[in-house]
Amino acid sequence: MSSEYETIMNEQKLHFALKFTGNWFFDVGILGFVNLMEGVYGWDLKTLQEKINEDKEKVYYGYFPFAYFYKWLLDRNEKANSKLIENLKEELEKKKFKDNKDLFDFVWFNFICRLFKELWIRKKSELVHKSEAYTRGGREKQVKKQYNYKNTEIYLKKIEERENLINKILRKHKDEIKKILKVEKELGKLEYKYLEQLLKSNDDSISLELKELIELLRERHEEINKFLNEEWENNVINQQKFTRDEDLFYRIPIDSGFYKNFLFFNNSLGNLEQKDSFYNAICFNFDKEEMLKKIDKPINKFLPSENEFSNINYTELSTKEFKSQIEYLFVYLLCFTYAFEKYENLGYVTFYSNDLEFSYIINKKLKLYKKKIEKSKDQNIILRVTWQQVIDSLVEYKSSWSLENMYIISYKRLDNQTQENIEYIGIPKLQASILLDDTIRYNLNNRIQFRSKNFENNFCWLLEEFIKGKPLYPIILNHINLVLNEETSLKINPSIYSLIIDAKILELRSRNKGKSLFSTDFFDTYKSLVGEIKKDLIYSSFSAGLVKGIFRDDDTKRRIARELFGALKEKNKNIFLNILLKNMNENKELCSNENFNRWIFDKIIKNDTSYEMYGLLLIMNLLRGEKN
Amino acid sequence: MRKISENAYYWQKVIGNKQLEIDLEKLKKATEDSFKNEKSDSYKQKLVYDLLEAVRNNDQKEFFYILLKAINKPKDNFKELWTRLKENYDLMPEEAFINFAYSIIIGIMATYSGGEE
Repeated sequence: MSSEYETIMNEQKLHFALKFTGNWFFDVGILGFVNLMEGVYGWDLKTLQEKINEDKEKVYYGYFPFAYFYKWLLDRNEKANSKLIENLKEELEKKKFKDNKDLFDFVWFNFICRLFKELWIRKKSELVHKSEAYTRGGREKQVKKQYNYKNTEIYLKKIEERENLINKILRKHKDEIKKILKVEKELGKLEYKYLEQLLKSNDDSISLELKELIELLRERHEEINKFLNEEWENNVINQQKFTRDEDLFYRIPIDSGFYKNFLFFNNSLGNLEQKDSFYNAICFNFDKEEMLKKIDKPINKFLPSENEFSNINYTELSTKEFKSQIEYLFVYLLCFTYAFEKYENLGYVTFYSNDLEFSYIINKKLKLYKKKIEKSKDQNIILRVTWQQVIDSLVEYKSSWSLENMYIISYKRLDNQTQENIEYIGIPKLQASILLDDTIRYNLNNRIQFRSKNFENNFCWLLEEFIKGKPLYPIILNHINLVLNEETSLKINPSIYSLIIDAKILELRSRNKGKSLFSTDFFDTYKSLVGEIKKDLIYSSFSAGLVKGIFRDDDTKRRIARELFGALKEKNKNIFLNILLKNMNENKELCSNENFNRWIFDKIIKNDTSYEMYGLLLIMNLLRGEKN
Repeated sequence: MRKISENAYYWQKVIGNKQLEIDLEKLKKATEDSFKNEKSDSYKQKLVYDLLEAVRNNDQKEFFYILLKAINKPKDNFKELWTRLKENYDLMPEEAFINFAYSIIIGIMATYSGGEE
């Protein structure tokens, strides 16, 4: 009985496991969600998963909303009381809730509203001129909704008192104030930013009379703040006793360039409406939130709007279908931007593969190189650093499927002319499966000189070329050319590995020519390829190495190497073999060495597919015997 | 620049419905078996040198002339090689000829007494 129960529980846990969906758009959101929670609560992916397994409602209805608002403040350099994080953890640990609505409301009033107290007070205090609290036009002056509540009169009276004092000061000390504020123009109505500046001014050069007046102004200003503080504490945080009519006065001042008027960002929504719309988004309640029914531009600037896109196939991407599959879809969609890291030179960038853990690890590692990336003038720096991280992670993370689907997603800024750049950086399955081998990867992870010093980019990262699916042979050919001209020293191992890998890939392709793409041995072929490469590395290194004994004299060997190189460069197999065998002919021992004889026959004479790689290997070995 | 087509080491010709191809492996083996009883290395070295010169110029006529002259001996040793040559003797495209010729040359070289008997 208990085992059955356990199975059900485990299945349930599995069902709620955080994992990617296969849709990059949702997946980036999930990554953003993980980043957000880690940024605010310090939970890594594993801890977050544990928290979700323990009590997912607490995570999604409690921790998440607070984290979202907390991060919003941080991103805008606003003050955010970090003590609230610990308080929230304590409260959520011990408190029991009726349902998720009860939980959400608790967090909203006690934590989110508390978090926004200072910003709210400032926004309300920003009303410098009482007249601006009224709507313009019309016969009767009406108080604007955002200033209208039960104590509006008291509030506006305090504003008026401060305004009168400001006017008095301005009248009396106009020139001195202009000096303090460092403005040339006439000060008509004082803007809030000037008021703030004035309140902060504490210069010895200010006349005594003005100093006293500013002090008085500070008192008035503090009075307003104190009054607003009490209103927020009493009516919002402690008792939540404000009516729907007063909703807009207590609106949480939150907006977003990315989401514009989406949900709680909408300026026309009051505090309670903001709360409801946020709650509805989390629990997928689209009966009340019409805009949640479809996925288009309001949800994310990467998407087209329904109006712009008249093609029926692409519009009205209904969220209904996702309801059962992705329980907290809107949580993730809201977190989309948090998957991106901002780089001064590149804009917002994220790494995406189809595996959550892998993407998470790589993005985390990328952040460590942020400074290096920002400083670099290299256009491809982000690709290079990413690949390096991917390669380094391969040891711990042997998933070649993920390697194939990798993307760098970036955007400079998102406005109505949605700008985006998605670069595919996947490593082909063939290359990925080869790179999974530690020794091969180690040897390819080298920068090798392939152009003369006079060129700007004269070094080449073998791994990058390989990942891009480019042949390595031409690079090694150029490298050997430089060695022949004594412009650089020979990089032996990276060269041998590159040549053998190239040869084996060519041979594999030649063998598979005409075969169907997904033959039954599709996966086995790749696996056995690494084995073939390693076997040939031993065989060919040894056998080709025997050529060193062709002559004792290094100069003669260099001369032969040069001649052979010329033939190879011209792709002339006949001349290559002719030069080789003619020189060999004088060394009977080498000719009849069974290993060497067999190797030349197998790898060069019989082989039209990859003889060039093996030929170059021979040349390399001729140069290798040199003393220096 | 000449591009060597893949798998060109087989010279294939079709007679009737039968496809003939040169088995380089067998050719090399037959050459080795034939020449291993020739004791003089300097003779073989000279022969190799001459053959190399002929291949270099893609002179197939000269190549076969030198080779046939060398094996035109009433010894049993050369029987297998004769059979192979009879099967394949023909004017070949250069790519096929190179592989054919060097297989024979490397075969002779394998029999130098510096190595195994």
